Amino acid sequence: MAVAERLVVERASKTFGGGELTVFADLDLAVRDQESVCVLGPSGCGKTTLLRAMHGLVGLDEGRIVVDGSVVLRPRSNVAMVFQHFGLMPWKSVTANVAYGLELAGVARQEIAERVTRYVELVGLKGFERSYPHTLSGGMQQRVGLARALAMEPDILLMDEPFGSLDAQTREILQDELLSILQITGVRGGRAPATMVFITHSIEEAIALGDRIVVLSARPARIRETISVDIPRPRTVASVIAHPRFVELRDRCWRLLRERTA
Amino acid sequence: MTVGEAQRAAGTRAGALAAARRRRLRLDLGDWGVRIGSVLFVLAVWEFVAPRFNPLIIRPPTHIFRAFGELIANGELQEALGQSLREFSGGLVIALTLGILLGIASGRYRFVYNAIDPLVSALYSVPSVALVPLIAVAFKFQGDAPRIATVALFAIFPILINTQQGVRNVDRGLLEVAKAFNTSERRLWTDVIIPSAVPFLLAGVRLAIGRALIGMIVSEFLVGLVGLGYLIIVYENVFRIDRMFVPVIVVATMGIVLMGLVQWIEGRVAPWTRREQ
Repeated sequence: MAVAERLVVERASKTFGGGELTVFADLDLAVRDQESVCVLGPSGCGKTTLLRAMHGLVGLDEGRIVVDGSVVLRPRSNVAMVFQHFGLMPWKSVTANVAYGLELAGVARQEIAERVTRYVELVGLKGFERSYPHTLSGGMQQRVGLARALAMEPDILLMDEPFGSLDAQTREILQDELLSILQITGVRGGRAPATMVFITHSIEEAIALGDRIVVLSARPARIRETISVDIPRPRTVASVIAHPRFVELRDRCWRLLRERTA
Repeated sequence: MTVGEAQRAAGTRAGALAAARRRRLRLDLGDWGVRIGSVLFVLAVWEFVAPRFNPLIIRPPTHIFRAFGELIANGELQEALGQSLREFSGGLVIALTLGILLGIASGRYRFVYNAIDPLVSALYSVPSVALVPLIAVAFKFQGDAPRIATVALFAIFPILINTQQGVRNVDRGLLEVAKAFNTSERRLWTDVIIPSAVPFLLAGVRLAIGRALIGMIVSEFLVGLVGLGYLIIVYENVFRIDRMFVPVIVVATMGIVLMGLVQWIEGRVAPWTRREQ
């Protein structure tokens, strides 16, 4: 079943301002089960809107998005999202923030407690369960955001430039941890790692995390090219950068991004 | 040091920095020394200068202190304070109830906002004092009702407007997060909207306390002469300036204590806002 298509975008178009501003047009994209797809494009090209549409947070003007065979109309509980702005509730402790999605999904209390413990530990926040977000650094806040999404044990992870607002060093640490978390078998109750759609404007990040990279053109965004990242897993950011294919892949992405603005 | 340890160390460092920032905002011993010293200095000058003037106009602090004892001994102060507190708390409870309900409703529903905004703006623009005679007539000068209503009128606007702004200014990012995790309308309120409105509400309550005290004294001047306001007027009329100052000091103390209390509550229920204050 590893080749089954999990999330399919079909001829999707989105405009704002009553059709004045076309964000993306005629997008087709299929994400296979257990595949990690990075959507690469410059800021403001509609990547985030596309991701929000994948979760049913915004509607499309044309086309449709299908997850597991049914059209996405509203957020579903087997899909979890991580936000660029972290989206933590300042009045909730780390524990309560991680438990948030599980509570809304109606998971039993005992199960919530177990999962919170497990995923807080997995993202390296053990000992900070009772801390509040404003006492944590940006990197640690996003660990909470990640734990909140992972705790849902989702089939699909939607990542909206989750490390975009972090400093370079913290970003690389979190990229590495995300890579290793997704490679740990047993994270999702013994099942294989999740399918992931990861929005980014960083070429290095896209190569490090993606099995495929979808490069978008300038607004109105269209798919410029889809690139397979033929660097084997398990990966780390360092091993990816050191891989002989890395420079070629980076140059190719770079050229695609440059051409578009020229 | 493992990555986890490094993260934890960084976290403690960030925590320590935040604590230091808070400490700098909080008053330390030196600050308190200056504050108390300043008050003592003014009292000392007052004490020294007062005897040179007509005692019908100015009395030294020691006389006021003695007058305090007298008014407590004959029970006048306790009775007046009890009366004033009844009006104050009654009015504030009404202002809180109505203010929060209307603030939430108008912050959330456009219809309610449009329905009450012109009225609120108009009433808030009129100096509330000007409406006191109208309230007195409306309540036929009967009992505490007109004074309680006056306190409520003075106090309601900052509560209502702040609650409304709090509800309207909910972080859009958090609304999106709630939606992304399939929140119900009820959980949206308890998880997101109400907690983010609480700091606004409490700031409004702090403003409301000052206004409620004004409403209390003004209504006691204008409607029926009772309570602490009555003591002020009565002892002014008989030129007992020392006794006149007693209720004034009591009202000031009420304001300081209550605002301090609300600020303390703010720190307890909304610690994430402490940095911005």
